[in-house]
Amino acid sequence: MKSLTNLRETLIGNSPWIAGAIIVAGIVHITSILAMPYLAPKDAFARLEQAAPLNQITVLPQPSSASALMPFEDPATVVAVCRYDLNQAPLRMRGPLSGDGLLLFSFHNRFGTTFYSMTDKGALRGRLDVLVLNQTQLEAVEAFDPEDELPQELRLLSPTQRGFVIVRSLAPEPGSRPQARARIGQIACEAEGNRRD
Amino acid sequence: MATFLKSLLAAAIGVALGLTATWLAVERGYGFGAVSSGPWTGWPKTGSDGADPYARAVLARTGEVPLGLAEGLSFTARTDEAGAKLDPTCDYIVTGPIPPARYWTLTALTPRGLVIDNGAGRTGITSAEIVRAMDGSFAITLSRQARAGNWLPLGNTSDFVLLLRLYDTPLSSASSSIGTTPMPTLRKERCA
Repeated sequence: MKSLTNLRETLIGNSPWIAGAIIVAGIVHITSILAMPYLAPKDAFARLEQAAPLNQITVLPQPSSASALMPFEDPATVVAVCRYDLNQAPLRMRGPLSGDGLLLFSFHNRFGTTFYSMTDKGALRGRLDVLVLNQTQLEAVEAFDPEDELPQELRLLSPTQRGFVIVRSLAPEPGSRPQARARIGQIACEAEGNRRD
Repeated sequence: MATFLKSLLAAAIGVALGLTATWLAVERGYGFGAVSSGPWTGWPKTGSDGADPYARAVLARTGEVPLGLAEGLSFTARTDEAGAKLDPTCDYIVTGPIPPARYWTLTALTPRGLVIDNGAGRTGITSAEIVRAMDGSFAITLSRQARAGNWLPLGNTSDFVLLLRLYDTPLSSASSSIGTTPMPTLRKERCA
């Protein structure tokens, strides 16, 4: 009983310190959560940076029980990536989308956050034609747009200068992997040249 | 001097507590916005601009790239229908209904998201390979031993999680309705 009273008195006597510790804990917690995307050494961007060149579609290795470039990928999909760096050039993605197989596209900023996603059903007239660019590049492109018609391409404004696009192609049956792979092979990623200048 | 030591101690305890809270937060789930139905839990917002800071922190740490909101939805089960942790020495039966989707896949992975080796070389089952009964219903058996019908092998692992992915599903655009959509049941059968 005595020790309990002592403990209580110790706690009351040190309450400013306890409150201080809790405030520090809160600040540290919030700061570390917010900082993690900027500090994490092995985020998706870092992993893909080593696995694929810029402005080129690269099929990623099939995940195995020992390692996976990205965890939790569906083993029934063939996964490819296009990395971009808008400091150098906008990214152009083109390809036919026949609609006979499932193709998924997701666009990620430098910190992995998805800023746009679509399936092959979202294509314009059976074709994929996407331009990923920044605000300056968008204004430059729009300056050359004809006034009386809508652009024939999907223009996506990237929130960061660097980022990546993940393309997933589903192989619904174990034997249909080659077809899933071939569908990705029809998609092209390239640095957009200054063809309008 | 005592004051200095006390403030140092308080700061150290605060830092330790804060980092522990961060570690716990990123080890469990993907922040807020979880939708659950039975044993299935999904975090649809992680694949969008609306991902909260906790989800962003978890993704940055693990390096995974979640399905975008328009691509589909992914649900994880760590327990069976009754709430017991999934045990690879047991058999499980998954029965419909599965929400509408262009394709779906059911995959067994390690809790860290790696493929599980098994003798049959099958890591998942998809809507295209499923064998249905006359009335359109189906059952998938999860087991280490070969089973007739729709069999998803569980390899040599101490732990596994199930992932149900709904590709190109109309559910994506109405995440509020997920909680009320019927999801497949996950029942434990006998254990070895």
